Amino acid sequence: MQGTPTTRKIALVSGGSRGLGAALVSGFMQRDYGVATMSRTKTTFIDETKRGRDGAKRFHWAAVDGRDRDALRAFVADVAERFGRIDVLVNNAGLATEGVLPTMRPDEITELVDVNLTAALLLSQACSRVMLRQGGGCIINISSVNALRGHTGVAVYSATKAALDGLTRSLARELGPRRIRVNSVAPGYFESDMVKYVAPEQKERIARRTPLGRLATVEDIANAVLFLASDQASFITGQVVAVDGGITC
Amino acid sequence: MLTRLSPEGLRTVIHGKIRSVLKERFGEDRAFSAHDKLAATLGLSSLDLAFLVADLEAELGVDPFARLVSITSVRSVADLERAYQQAFFPETGPPPQDDGLAAAAKRARTRRQRRQAK
Repeated sequence: MQGTPTTRKIALVSGGSRGLGAALVSGFMQRDYGVATMSRTKTTFIDETKRGRDGAKRFHWAAVDGRDRDALRAFVADVAERFGRIDVLVNNAGLATEGVLPTMRPDEITELVDVNLTAALLLSQACSRVMLRQGGGCIINISSVNALRGHTGVAVYSATKAALDGLTRSLARELGPRRIRVNSVAPGYFESDMVKYVAPEQKERIARRTPLGRLATVEDIANAVLFLASDQASFITGQVVAVDGGITC
Repeated sequence: MLTRLSPEGLRTVIHGKIRSVLKERFGEDRAFSAHDKLAATLGLSSLDLAFLVADLEAELGVDPFARLVSITSVRSVADLERAYQQAFFPETGPPPQDDGLAAAAKRARTRRQRRQAK
């Protein structure tokens, strides 16, 4: 496989070891993509995917800390070398730290910015270079409804996600002429590790306020991402698609 | 990635890449010299330059703009050549002066002195 250009589409998903990232890895695998993902630690999902159908051939995982800038660049270079191309980048890796800004530790703020924003910028930079050379591609940033509406206790998280949406719009303009599309998916609350701090009563309240009457599932979000990555979305760029059951409408 | 490249060989690679970008952009072969400005004279956009740098990185395994040189200091074909020469052959001498930046700094100094003299 090493260094062999392939006609199979290749997706790079950051933070694909659990939650939405794992659902995206599975979704791309089901659609016959080659899939590369990185995370800080290996999970059973990674081992199972590697052992699954075509896993050894089509799936690649590496341990990369999103705060390690050189490691991010090296990972993209390795994926491009290994698979011969990168068609889709999903900037999914992220942290959610709750706390009002006046009492947050400065290193918590820096960590959120590093993982949620700087890593996405660096991955987008490295992957866009590969995409420029191959004449097209697609970048999808996983944003949040917190980027669209204000919520107490998530100011820094919201700032990083709103910044991703700004990145989406500007990068779509920058790279559009070279047939690289850039979009954001802004999930509402969905069941994942990142909302484990949300109390059950609060989840019920969110469901009541949601026009479609429930929290999202991971598959709801993954389906929107997979659509935007597909050729069916070939004329969509620079957009933020809220997948939130209508809570922001 | 190329290894054992001479300064002249490096120049040939860079010119070849510029030539292919120009051909892709304008649909024809275009002659150019080291003094030509990439944007003003040759008509390359910043995205064309990004493509050129990405292509050269794939070919040469080096990106001088990651740490060594600022891409904003590259105006002419010769500036681009110098950036890669600096990355490949650092022993050939101190980093070359950026004439454009030096001239801008000199103009700014003159303006400041004029303001202070009033």
